[in-house]
Amino acid sequence: MDSLFVIGRDTVPGCFEALPGEPLRLTFVVLPGTSCAVETEILLARPGCEADIAGLYLCDGDDRFSLKLNLRHDAGECRSRQLFKGMASGRSRAIFDGRVYVGHGAQKTSALQENHSLLLGDDAFVESRPQLEIYADDVECSHGATVGSLDEQQQFYMQSRGIPRDEALRLQKISFLSPVLGRLPETLFNEVITCL
Amino acid sequence: MDNLLEIRGLHASVGEKEILKGIDLTIRRGEVHAVMGPNGAGKSTLSAVLAGRPDLTVTQGTVLYEGRDLLAMAPEERAWAGIFLSFQYPVEIPGVSITAFMKAAIAARRKAQGLPELKAAEFLRLLKEKMAFVQMRPEFASRSVNEGFSGGEKKRNEIFQMAMLDPVFAILDETDSGLDVDALKIVASGVNALRSPEKSAIVITHYKRLLDYIVPDVVHVLKDGRIVKTAGPELVERIDQQGYEGLDG
Repeated sequence: MDSLFVIGRDTVPGCFEALPGEPLRLTFVVLPGTSCAVETEILLARPGCEADIAGLYLCDGDDRFSLKLNLRHDAGECRSRQLFKGMASGRSRAIFDGRVYVGHGAQKTSALQENHSLLLGDDAFVESRPQLEIYADDVECSHGATVGSLDEQQQFYMQSRGIPRDEALRLQKISFLSPVLGRLPETLFNEVITCL
Repeated sequence: MDNLLEIRGLHASVGEKEILKGIDLTIRRGEVHAVMGPNGAGKSTLSAVLAGRPDLTVTQGTVLYEGRDLLAMAPEERAWAGIFLSFQYPVEIPGVSITAFMKAAIAARRKAQGLPELKAAEFLRLLKEKMAFVQMRPEFASRSVNEGFSGGEKKRNEIFQMAMLDPVFAILDETDSGLDVDALKIVASGVNALRSPEKSAIVITHYKRLLDYIVPDVVHVLKDGRIVKTAGPELVERIDQQGYEGLDG
């Protein structure tokens, strides 16, 4: 299953289940002007399942967005990957609350969760709450979260080549989002790019 | 006008620390100047000030470029006026291809100069030609800028960008460091191809090696934020044999 959800336009089911031999691939996109709280669960309940989850959220103005994602490894030998990239500008607030649960029987689990955010304004707010809860002892699990701002060295490098500051900032945002942008169909890709 | 660049009494700091302590330097059109000196002398700071790096503060002095106040110009305006800095540590931009990057750079400059946009076919022809010139493999065109490049590939990419942008005044900040002889020759041929009666360059280096291939017109020794010696190319040989000791003006 390979599904894409534009939050605010598409309804996100409360639960997804990965099946053996049928990797679950989900992509979430949040465009500016979206205020909502999304909560969903991803189940890996049978051995040998895979889940590949990614998302990007662009919050601006007075947007309030939160994503609560509960990923459960209940069976062994499953693999999950999560990558969420967010940006907040204006007075917006963006919260990523991601829990990875690995149950007693879920030996040989491989789980990776990453959440990186850019804070683009003094009045904007981002929060990352990554949580790992592991009850099996033979697993490979890691998570990482960063909150940062645009890199000034990169900006200067681009400006020194004649790229004006505004365009340099836009390219930096594309660069930051690129691992998720690659998953989008062309029309949505273009829609995201015009928001940057 | 004969002088391309005139630096007078230039002092610059990083935070509270003064790095440049009174630089005077005039570069005429057509000249290549080498700036040598020990680590921490201020060589990279000088090049960064000329390109407009924002974390440096100029506390005193003036810099005229083609008679204009260079220090009042934004980094991109300096690029549009023909200044190019080859970075000592080129920056990685994941997700932005060399082609997209160069397209943005060239389009912005042409717009600033009031020129029409370069046609796609013309741009690609130029890209191919300059990549071949610095012996970069064609597949690099679609790779992200400097991401996962070796040290030598990054430096070659700097020279490729220089060739694409065809600057009037090039600043090479230790472009030779970490290069093998073949890569060094490519860098040198890139700089030498730019040499003309209208164009100038500053070549910053620790080593004589690069200056065997790019023979400078003038050589300066920078020590502790000041130019302590200026002479012809024969100075390079002396430094190579005796180091910087005794060159205190």
